[in-house]
Amino acid sequence: MYKLEVKGVTHIYGAKTPFEKTALSAVNVGFEAGQITGLIGHTGSGKSTLVQMLNGLIRPQSGEILLDGEDIWARPKEIGRVRTRVGLVMQYPEYQLFDETVCRDVGFALRNAGMDEAEIDARVREAAECVGLEASLLDKSPFDLSGGQKRRAAIAGILAMRPEVLVLDEPAAGLDPRGRADVLGYLRRYRERFGATVILVSHSMEDMAQYCDRVVVLRRGEVFLSGRVDEVFYRSEELASVGLDIPEVMKIALALVERGVPLSGKLYTVDGARDAILELLKRRGC
Amino acid sequence: MLSDITLGQYFPGSSLLHRLDPRMKIILSALYMAAIFLAKNAFCHLFTAIATVLLVLLSRISLRVVLRSVRPILYVLIFTMLLNLFFTSADGGRLLLDFWVIRIYEEGVYRALFMALRVVLLVIGVSVLLTYTTTPIALTDAIESLLSPLKLLRIPVHEFAMMMTIALRFIPTLIEETEKIMNAQKARGADFTSGSIFRRVRALVPILIPLFVSSFQRAIDLATAMECRCYRGGKGRTKLVRYTLHARDFVMLVLFALGVAMIVFGNLRLPIGRLYS
Repeated sequence: MYKLEVKGVTHIYGAKTPFEKTALSAVNVGFEAGQITGLIGHTGSGKSTLVQMLNGLIRPQSGEILLDGEDIWARPKEIGRVRTRVGLVMQYPEYQLFDETVCRDVGFALRNAGMDEAEIDARVREAAECVGLEASLLDKSPFDLSGGQKRRAAIAGILAMRPEVLVLDEPAAGLDPRGRADVLGYLRRYRERFGATVILVSHSMEDMAQYCDRVVVLRRGEVFLSGRVDEVFYRSEELASVGLDIPEVMKIALALVERGVPLSGKLYTVDGARDAILELLKRRGC
Repeated sequence: MLSDITLGQYFPGSSLLHRLDPRMKIILSALYMAAIFLAKNAFCHLFTAIATVLLVLLSRISLRVVLRSVRPILYVLIFTMLLNLFFTSADGGRLLLDFWVIRIYEEGVYRALFMALRVVLLVIGVSVLLTYTTTPIALTDAIESLLSPLKLLRIPVHEFAMMMTIALRFIPTLIEETEKIMNAQKARGADFTSGSIFRRVRALVPILIPLFVSSFQRAIDLATAMECRCYRGGKGRTKLVRYTLHARDFVMLVLFALGVAMIVFGNLRLPIGRLYS
């Protein structure tokens, strides 16, 4: 069974007006427990709509979202519970920071849930540690942090809820390469620590290749491709047809294969390609 | 919820009203308003009502949408109607109802009806002429152009128009931003819809602070971007769109002028059911 499943979801914005726009049409996607699934697609492919449906911010006009096999909209009044179980980190989450101190801001969700202060404090520290925020920053105003620190504080605000499913919309957008690697690394560690299911929206095929187990490609509100990372990435022509590119390193590796170099393995990541080349060289006795 | 506003009032289309020169549309709206308020008897009210229906037909905007523009003023409308109904004194007309402290006169009923008609026509007519068929940008452009004679009095017309354009331009952006922040806080368990008034107002803090912060940032960025592109106010600035008056603009102007003349004539010569002065 899937941890989180999208079943036959259709959503149309501004129905019956001149601005009518189909965001999603009959989308079926399953997210397996404990895996990192990448969600990729162009602007306007329906990614953001889908992501906001996963934690009940948008109610699908038809179809259902199943969390552990239960429709999240079965009891609309309890949608708040779903939102703590499925944590959503929106795009550029640093814009949601508002409280006087980082500590209070990270604990916002917990305070809304009515947790007592001692436990909030423990959870906040744990979440800050998860994203590598030093304890000395916790008493500062969130507006005094650097861009990267703000981003991490905002992500910590979601992690503090200890969501079973963590959904992130472009968590690394606008960060430098070091910041990207840091943030994505924290997610991987969160998943390992709490056995969470992670859904990662990204534009970067490199990030997908490196961090995800599975990939779902959306196009114009429909699921275009979905499967394990290697399955999807070896269909580079289809990806190219929707304007997506395979990672640079994979292009080089495939070009080598085409020229008769027998490479095999995880050619879509830099490490994988390096290992494949080293393996080949070893076999040839170099 | 908020996305209904994002769409704004403008409905894209290519009807005659859409194609009219926006400056002319403002002038026509003024004439239209004059006609509505000049109308004093049943004939004139009927005439303005028919003219308004024709305008709606010309705009090719569905009646459902047009009637929606009346909805926000429904309470005001009912309130004015009641005021007119109950507080018209006995300087004419039969006494229709005399019950306890309530006295309703014939003239009160007519006043209430016609006042309501006027307000409804006014809202429908102006929405169809201006807001539904003209983009906000075209509208501010037209206002700037119509007010440009005031420049002689050293009134910074261009700057006001620019401020208005920027404000209008950023309404959808701000709404979008508000929605995003609301969603982000909802994802953290914020609740905006339950609890006492006091609680609800406090629940707005997590929305307003980020909104203010980003608005100021946006304003600074925009000012910098404008300065980088050498914006120095209106002097010597040319326009991307130059409005020219076409035959259709003049035809409409003549029709509207005739309409106003008709009302004036109707008031004087056709005192059919003269109701109130």
